[in-house]
Amino acid sequence: MGDTDEEKLWVLQSRKGDPAAFESLIRRHQRMIHSLTFRMTGSLEDAQDLAQEAFIRAYRQLDSYQGMSKFSSWLYRIAVNVCLNWRQRERRREQVQANWAESNEALRSGGDSSNEDVLSQEVQTVLMRLPTQQRAAIVLTVYEGHNHAAAAQILGCSETTVSWRVFTARRKLKRWLSAKGVRNE
Amino acid sequence: MNDSDLEKRLKAARVPARDEDYWESFPRLVLAQLRAGSAKGPVAPRWLPRLAWGNGIAFACLMIGFAIGHWHGRVAKDDPYALLQNGKLLREVFTLFPNRVRAIVQDEHGVQLVLADQQDMPVSTPIYVHICDGKQCWSLVTFSGQELEIAGQKVTILSDALGSVIVTGTRFAWSSGLPAGESRGLKIEARNLDSITL
Repeated sequence: MGDTDEEKLWVLQSRKGDPAAFESLIRRHQRMIHSLTFRMTGSLEDAQDLAQEAFIRAYRQLDSYQGMSKFSSWLYRIAVNVCLNWRQRERRREQVQANWAESNEALRSGGDSSNEDVLSQEVQTVLMRLPTQQRAAIVLTVYEGHNHAAAAQILGCSETTVSWRVFTARRKLKRWLSAKGVRNE
Repeated sequence: MNDSDLEKRLKAARVPARDEDYWESFPRLVLAQLRAGSAKGPVAPRWLPRLAWGNGIAFACLMIGFAIGHWHGRVAKDDPYALLQNGKLLREVFTLFPNRVRAIVQDEHGVQLVLADQQDMPVSTPIYVHICDGKQCWSLVTFSGQELEIAGQKVTILSDALGSVIVTGTRFAWSSGLPAGESRGLKIEARNLDSITL
């Protein structure tokens, strides 16, 4: 399904510098982009920062959007690239992982969080252990429902590479989640 | 665990929810960042903490020094930053340098007056901002659109149509209109000085 006429109009108006039009685009896509940035970082703070950065980059690159793909896919590609660059902030990433492990341990050892919260944290913890490119492949294919061809387009690599990353990531995730004793409800 | 089990388990993991206020304010924060990044020219001149002092600045220092010295004894001694909340002092400074004041900044080193080289500053409501990073505090009176370097990063001060003050930095955006704006370890207070007429 392509972009709506309304969305095309917002893109055109945003290119002309209309902030209200770009605000409409942000409102439409902000939850999707935040979801991606959170899955990629495991941190609400970093997710917010990266979502902001993605929208700012998108605005500055609007002229390069040709309308050949859906606006959401184009925006997604920008956001994924922002997240992939985040891996360079290695120390911060390690800190986030340590925080996840710590809070996860606290949840497991008893607290007032729901079982769903605990399971969500377990999953996010193992996602954070994946190499960034594999995590991106999982986020795009599992959480966002892209097929491997579409994910490849977003990630700027071949479909075979995506398939291989997904395969490798799945194998690791199964092993890690099994080791943590996470079972189906 | 097979592929289907894994898929179910992964999809059952929720992204932590954010409240509606967050979704309402996020687009505005992005737009504020964009405005801050694209502001150019005399409306949003760039300046540094210690600043390149232009023509006439030395004279300005003398004058502001005199004015501040005159008023310093009258402001509350228990609040070292009360000086910049003194309406009469501010009006005097703005009268002395019409359309030239970019900012008045107070930090641990004292007070600095930042002037434009020409009388091209637009007339608008002054904004008071107080920023602390845990080690040091800065107090300043400036105008919407001004960019400065503070707490080790570029900070832009903006005022929106609703009367809120937006303070954006390289890695944060804060608004006086939001109850819990993100400020990355910075404690910020800001408000429009509506009572100061130029």
